[in-house]
Amino acid sequence: MIWKTAWKNVWRNKIRSLVVIISVTIGIFGGVFAVAVMNGAIEQRLDAALNEEIGHIHVNEPGFRDNLDIQLTIPDIHDVLDTIQETPGVAAVAPRVILTGMANTAAKSTGVQIIGIDPEKERQVFTLYQSTIPGTGDFFETESRYNLAYIGQDLAKELKIIRYILDDEAMKSLSDKGVPAPVMEKLAPYRGERFNSEKALKKELKNILSAREAKDYGPLIVDEAWSFRDRSRLTLTFLDKDQYQTGAVFRIAGIYDIKNNMFESGTVFVKNTDLHSLTGLGPDTYHQLIIKLNDFEQTGKVTGILAGKLPGLEVMDWKTLQPDLAMMTDMVQKFYAVFMVVILAALAFGIVNTMLMVVLERTKELGMLTAIGMNKKRVFSMIMLESVFLSLIGGVVGMGVSSLLIAITAENGINFSSYQEGFEALGYSAHIYPAITPSFFILVTVLIVLTGILSSIYPALKALKLDPAEALRTE
Amino acid sequence: MKVLEIKNVHKIYNSSEVKVHAVNGITLDFEKGEFAAIVGPSGSGKTTLLNMIGGLDQPTEGEILVDHTDLSTLKSSALIDFRMRHIGFVFQSYNLIPVLTAKENVEFIMNLQKWSKKERDKRTFELLKAVGLDGRADSRPSKLSGGQQQRVAVARALASKPKFVLADEPTANLDSKSTSTLLDIMEELNRDEGITFIFSTHDARVVKKARRVITIEDGKVISDEQK
Repeated sequence: MIWKTAWKNVWRNKIRSLVVIISVTIGIFGGVFAVAVMNGAIEQRLDAALNEEIGHIHVNEPGFRDNLDIQLTIPDIHDVLDTIQETPGVAAVAPRVILTGMANTAAKSTGVQIIGIDPEKERQVFTLYQSTIPGTGDFFETESRYNLAYIGQDLAKELKIIRYILDDEAMKSLSDKGVPAPVMEKLAPYRGERFNSEKALKKELKNILSAREAKDYGPLIVDEAWSFRDRSRLTLTFLDKDQYQTGAVFRIAGIYDIKNNMFESGTVFVKNTDLHSLTGLGPDTYHQLIIKLNDFEQTGKVTGILAGKLPGLEVMDWKTLQPDLAMMTDMVQKFYAVFMVVILAALAFGIVNTMLMVVLERTKELGMLTAIGMNKKRVFSMIMLESVFLSLIGGVVGMGVSSLLIAITAENGINFSSYQEGFEALGYSAHIYPAITPSFFILVTVLIVLTGILSSIYPALKALKLDPAEALRTE
Repeated sequence: MKVLEIKNVHKIYNSSEVKVHAVNGITLDFEKGEFAAIVGPSGSGKTTLLNMIGGLDQPTEGEILVDHTDLSTLKSSALIDFRMRHIGFVFQSYNLIPVLTAKENVEFIMNLQKWSKKERDKRTFELLKAVGLDGRADSRPSKLSGGQQQRVAVARALASKPKFVLADEPTANLDSKSTSTLLDIMEELNRDEGITFIFSTHDARVVKKARRVITIEDGKVISDEQK
């Protein structure tokens, strides 16, 4: 009866209750959706880090990670590989030769990490091969008599392997895609002109186009002008096993784009067989083994087992290798909870105010209820339930609306292209797919109920202090 | 059989400057099945006396025994529970719970006492029939006239078969036809259920119906007549 009465009391003053419910709805919707966007970005970052960049577990000689000493190759490699592959939970292993060196083109030179890989084994551990920009080649699939290098888009831009040219094809495509004639006229004098960087092209567009035109058509013009010269080459120089400088010309096998500027501009993949011969290391010498597990949640356990089985080697999991990412994934759940608590704390003041008005308005009725035998516990429960209902209705509607929007946006993602450079500089994609776990909804529901309970305490205590005889005299 | 004993009860209100002796040494007994009216002018102490009898207020001096239990010995929560089980209340302005139907209002106290649904339904039906509102069981108070609301309040007061019902000016807001109907119903319930009714009133129609009339003035009983 107390539940029923409390529920009916919520709808006694519909407008006032709806104002509170709507404010809770908006607060919860905003909070949950914001958390879903943050969570989606972090999950994508974690997914990219584990599947494209670092894998789950690294095995190498102690000290190798500190100075990438070419001499620190893994001894008894076949035994080590067998031990790893026999360990339960291990899905695949990719051996790597890792060097530091310089990447050079006629236009520019830059320092890079050169990673020698076995493309077949690499495919079993990483999904990087899926990130090849169409039209730039592939992930070492095409046979070639040349040395091949698979490089990131940012490095390609830096070395001017990617340029921006408004050639005939680009102009036709722009026209076909509906760029209006006045804009095309402004672009006409630049037909065939080569821009060495995206920045240079954007600067020129800013000069010739209006702000509106630049905003509407700028990104499309940059996309269409993007140009990769087939059979581009770069020279990689590095030290061989005897510390003599060596190097070779590598043809670009393909260019990858993983929305992580730092990784893209600093990592070049080549075949480890090429590095074996160029450095004189010889076949079957590797600096690092990257392990992929069937279930990344098992990382800690498998790392411990492998460390025991491979006592002379350094075995490190992704959390140790990338502590920033580990901290973020560990802390982020707490941050989400704090974020929701702050929102609900703000909403709680509104609920307290409403419940105080309720007690004030119903003084006589509360006096009557106490007079006829409703004890303090029941009066308290009734006020508390009203407050919980108010917050819970708003909360459930808020969670429902946010779930709907998350479901809609998770399909195609949300494109924060205006902030693309900033996102990618931090290793995050600017195209975010909001994602949330069911457990978060349970947490939010618990927090909403707690908010309702805590918001009711002060008004309920006020109600308990009423003297029934005096309350009955109020008009 | 005595259901209520009031022994030399005083109530003194201490305002900042003067002491107000609202009830001044009243001693009264009520037997089971009485139909009594406490009459007197405004400010004579009727409501104060009724509040003390109902355990809503404490006497400054004296004892009030309901079914041999001294109300002053009960702690706050026990007193609320005692009121729920032994005392029925009818208020001047009906004081029904506006969000509940007539039926729900009547069964409210039975619910608090955790009666089974079957028992509740039976008792609620009996009472609503007795007050002539069995056809309006599902109406909310706002859809009932003042007289009908007060009849629901009477049914509610009787729901848990109390020792007595206290009615503070129950007809003050009613027209003469509703007053007459209400009084007839209360008299009938008093007779059928054997429950004591104690009214405070200045309504001559109530006084006429009452079988015992206690007149108080300045907090003292000046007459106590059995008819």
